Amino acid sequence: MLTNFEYAKPITLTHAVQCLAEKEREVKILSGGTDLLVALRRKQVQPALVIDIKGLKELTALTYTPGQGLSIGAAVCVNRLAEADVVRQYFPALAAAARVLASYQLRNRATVGGNICNASPAADLVPPLLVYEGVLEVVSQRGSRRIPLQDFFTGVKQHVLERDELLQGVFLPDTTDATGATGATGATGATSATGMTNVTDVGGLYLKQGRLKGHDLSIIGLAARLNAAKQFRFAVAAAAPTPLRLFALEELLNAQPFTPALAELAAQAINLYIHPISDVRATAEYRRHMAAVFVRRAVSSLVTAGGKQDG
Amino acid sequence: MAKHVITCGINGAAISAEVDSGQTLLEFLRGELSLFGAKEGCGEGECGACTVMVNGRAVNSCLMLAVEADGCEVKTVEGLAQGGKLAILQEEFVQHDALQCGFCTPGMLMSARALLDRTSDPGEEEIKVAIAGNLCRCTGYLPIVSAIQAAAKREREETASE
Amino acid sequence: MSDHYTVVGTAQTRSEAWQKVTGQAVYVHDFSLPGMLHTKILHSPHAHALIVAIDVTAAKALPGVKAILTGADLPYLLGLYMVDKPILARHKVRYQGEPVAAVAAVDEVTAERAVGLIKVTYSELPAVLSVDAALAGQTLVHEDINELEYIKGAFFPQPDSNIASWHQTRRGDVQQGFAAADFVFEDELSLPQVAHAPLETHVSIAQAHPASNRVTIWTSAQSPFSVRNLLAKAFGLARADIKVVVPFIGGGFGGKAGIHLEPLALALSRACNGIPVRVKASREEEYNQLPCREGLRGRVKTGITKGGKITAMQLYFDWDGGAYADYSVNVGRAAGYAGAGPYALDNIELHSRTLYTNKVFGTAYRGFGHLETHWVIERHMDLLAQRLQIDPYELRQQNLLREGSLTISGERINANSGRVDQCLSAVASEIGWCGYRSAAERAAGIARGKARGKGLAVLHKAPAMPANTATGAIMQLNEDGSVIMLLGATDMGQGAYTVMAQIAAEILAMPLDKIKVSGEVDTDHSPYDWQTVASKYSFMGGNAVIRCAQDVLRQLKATAAQVLRIPVDELAHANERIYHVQHPEQFVTYQALAMGYTYRNGNAIGGPIIGRGTYLAPGLTNLDDNGQGLPALDWTYGAHGAEIEVDIETGEVTVLKIASAFDVGQVLNPKLCKGQVIGGVMQGLGSALCEEYKYSPDGKLLNPSFTDNKIPTAQDTPREIVPILLENPQADGPFGARGVGEHPMISVPSVIGNALYDALGINFYELPLTPEKIALAVAKLARP
Repeated sequence: MLTNFEYAKPITLTHAVQCLAEKEREVKILSGGTDLLVALRRKQVQPALVIDIKGLKELTALTYTPGQGLSIGAAVCVNRLAEADVVRQYFPALAAAARVLASYQLRNRATVGGNICNASPAADLVPPLLVYEGVLEVVSQRGSRRIPLQDFFTGVKQHVLERDELLQGVFLPDTTDATGATGATGATGATSATGMTNVTDVGGLYLKQGRLKGHDLSIIGLAARLNAAKQFRFAVAAAAPTPLRLFALEELLNAQPFTPALAELAAQAINLYIHPISDVRATAEYRRHMAAVFVRRAVSSLVTAGGKQDG
Repeated sequence: MAKHVITCGINGAAISAEVDSGQTLLEFLRGELSLFGAKEGCGEGECGACTVMVNGRAVNSCLMLAVEADGCEVKTVEGLAQGGKLAILQEEFVQHDALQCGFCTPGMLMSARALLDRTSDPGEEEIKVAIAGNLCRCTGYLPIVSAIQAAAKREREETASE
Repeated sequence: MSDHYTVVGTAQTRSEAWQKVTGQAVYVHDFSLPGMLHTKILHSPHAHALIVAIDVTAAKALPGVKAILTGADLPYLLGLYMVDKPILARHKVRYQGEPVAAVAAVDEVTAERAVGLIKVTYSELPAVLSVDAALAGQTLVHEDINELEYIKGAFFPQPDSNIASWHQTRRGDVQQGFAAADFVFEDELSLPQVAHAPLETHVSIAQAHPASNRVTIWTSAQSPFSVRNLLAKAFGLARADIKVVVPFIGGGFGGKAGIHLEPLALALSRACNGIPVRVKASREEEYNQLPCREGLRGRVKTGITKGGKITAMQLYFDWDGGAYADYSVNVGRAAGYAGAGPYALDNIELHSRTLYTNKVFGTAYRGFGHLETHWVIERHMDLLAQRLQIDPYELRQQNLLREGSLTISGERINANSGRVDQCLSAVASEIGWCGYRSAAERAAGIARGKARGKGLAVLHKAPAMPANTATGAIMQLNEDGSVIMLLGATDMGQGAYTVMAQIAAEILAMPLDKIKVSGEVDTDHSPYDWQTVASKYSFMGGNAVIRCAQDVLRQLKATAAQVLRIPVDELAHANERIYHVQHPEQFVTYQALAMGYTYRNGNAIGGPIIGRGTYLAPGLTNLDDNGQGLPALDWTYGAHGAEIEVDIETGEVTVLKIASAFDVGQVLNPKLCKGQVIGGVMQGLGSALCEEYKYSPDGKLLNPSFTDNKIPTAQDTPREIVPILLENPQADGPFGARGVGEHPMISVPSVIGNALYDALGINFYELPLTPEKIALAVAKLARP
């Protein structure tokens, strides 16, 4: 039995944010519960009120609009992402991360919003959401605001949300490039499906290393994306106090000729931009080693895919 | 402790019960319904011994509040055997010696059931992924994988012959 | 498999499987009694500290709290071999996680809240956190080591030290042996503590019946009679006052041998006027409070000829035994007669020191020290082969124990002892061993990014048990001629009851499904069994069941002789009948004799048929000062051959195939026997690849959870495990059988370490062989 708290399951956003606006009592949001229930059990949190947000239709929707993008409700569970055709097809790095997050059972409960708001440095969904340039949609009684995901995290388990704010969802702009890169029709992604008529990403992937092959937290995770304009996007998990978009590495690579040599360049450079620590799960040395391995593999794979596209 | 009345299906039977807000689904199943099949091996979602199916999906019942099951269909290991006869999956676990101490078995069976409900012909790797959240310290898993493969084959044959 | 038997040697499914697949199997985890109280424990936050004061006032005042105990209330010391462990810490704490106080309350929430209100003042002491620090002895974990009670003659605590026991073995003359060698090589290998990780954590319920000495304990324990024995000793009770009940057990692996939560549950129940009290370990407590497997540092020095014949060996095993001796002094002793591996060593000097440290304490774990010592010895054998540039297969074959060899404790191996050489040949053949790959082949593998390697390792183990180890079986014929059998051993999934029923069915010549084993051990009703440990039950229980079934047959034939008017020696039995050996039509059924036989005139003979059978391990002696004597009921030999693939960048190891051969003498049930092999190999792979206790510099366990103390998952399985069961019968084993429960784990880390050398040309000396360790070693190789 967990500690004493009140449970509410609002069915309107208005009611939900009203609950959250309570100042007298500590309120916790229950989404998938895979982090919250552990924290409750360990008495790390002792809220007076727990708000279950799975009754909010705005938060449980997963909608793809061609030309615009993917809107993911905060309460969408990880397996829905892993299994959704639109995610697999247009946001393959996200689908890949969803497939390797925790265990199958946990993926049935853990949600996108939970993975983001828990703000773990090792959150598997965050690197792909960063490379797809996710924007968070946040609501409160005071109104709503949009926060680029890259500006969301402030430290280990820390983020910019106010206590009365609710993450409604995350929006990913379509991977169809509006600027229309030349010669990229009939695009082939490294891990994405083929047969697209749009000008789309070349590919995207998520590479994760655990201590064993099954069910584990990431000791390093890397999301990589090559968009239709042949621009790289990278982000890492468990390599810094927060998940990190690697802008500088992107700039470095995007300024170079698009050749297989980029893989080695990325491997050499990535460690300038990450700040891993040694902990019970891995040493900083191994994290650095693996960051280089993964970025080499990712770039190599994406360059090959991009090269084929040109050919 | 705040009380809530929930209505849900448990192994096909509709029930209505009062639960505490802080009660997990696992505690509810074991404590209130005397369904002792699902076990607590860690209480933190790492071992899978508490796995049950909620609306057809395998979940860790230790990480779900009982009140969250309101309106859901819950299936536990006790719901597998029908009419006093073991289900195919259970028979294959027995035949392949896919259990030793048996403590992980109810959860393992429910992960396997959920897998076979979503795909009738899972590959070996797919099976391993589906049960990677169910720790077993005794069997070395391979007999479990064989049992699930054998059950899938028999279930496909049964469906084909219907 | 054998074809001379009808039921023995056949692949029967386990008898209790239906209960386990339907969720009907009841574990202590599932038990509750009316009015039962729940317990929460306050643990030490320090690895080593004096307890200055404990204030339970606020906790006691909390409504719903029924009893609070601290060490001051419990002036008892417990211990299997060294009597060194309080139920709750007294005066000082010796490891972080040690129980300091316990609360029994109406529910867990209340108990936990009360625990939070207990105030303890500590005064920290320097902590002993390594074998070197323990050996240095600057700080003593047990300052009263000189006064501790222990079993003299078997264990050797050293005064004013942290050495709980220093076991020594000496045969021949090592100095002469080293002098005769062409080379002398030394290696040091080590491995950390690891967890048993049974899926059911330890749990006990005790009821101290008021106004009497009577005590009932329901517990998830491997050894109910051992619990009874140790509890009786500690609390000064008669054995008959204590009833220990063990239903289904959710895994043990040695961690539930001995006695653990039972004394605390009993003390709390007494403090609550006999209300039943449950003590159930959380997963964190399972890691941090309850015992683990000892860590080990092994140093080995070997004299060897150019041709690979070992002339002398000197070994130092230093066990990181943690805060209390528990089983680890006996693990150290077992290393004294088996730790050098299954080799004929004429000149040996072996020191096995079980050390006290301020860490979670060690206990028995499947393999009882042999996985650890074989990590040292079986890696060392490969290291010797590398230095001599000879095939490690040949090196082993040249030195293995064979008929006529003496073990290091001076036991002569004979024609019925089993064949480790055949085990080694079998696995070498199964994996296609043809020597180490060349440097060029290795370089090619590394260049490909996926390097493959093969390895070999051998093993042996005998049960570690005292000379008076005994077991019993009782069988009763029911009215319908079926049989119910009572056994004192527990079945925690190894399949003991199924196999015992098969043995009974074979002897009684009746269908297996007519024989039931009572699935719950109750020390008031079940016959005695020492402990369910040590891979000894198939052997000992099997022999007891044979004798028990023969007793039943004797009784049946005695009555049948009168009924049929045929001399007993002309009677035979088959198909549930006793009949004339030449005229089978003259018969009487078991059923007709089950309750005795009544003639038409009312005269009655015989009576309910109740058979008994016992087995007392024969031929065991204590070891003398030089570690010489006969410690082994039987030796089971084995070998592993493995082929692995290493991702040279990530360091991940994939086991492509592992072939594991054991000379089991006679397979009693191939399905269950292979199940032990597959499960044991997988558990060994956990030790090999990922499992490890990690401590902070001040001795706090950093990973007391499945989150950070991983055990292998289904995705971590080898592609193929090939069990190979050899059958060179043991003359005094049941149908020739030997034990094999623990053996599959032993030498699994060694075979992986050896295959890693073959793949990468890199030798690893410390477990576990994590992706991190391997990847960084490869990376270092690439940039000299």
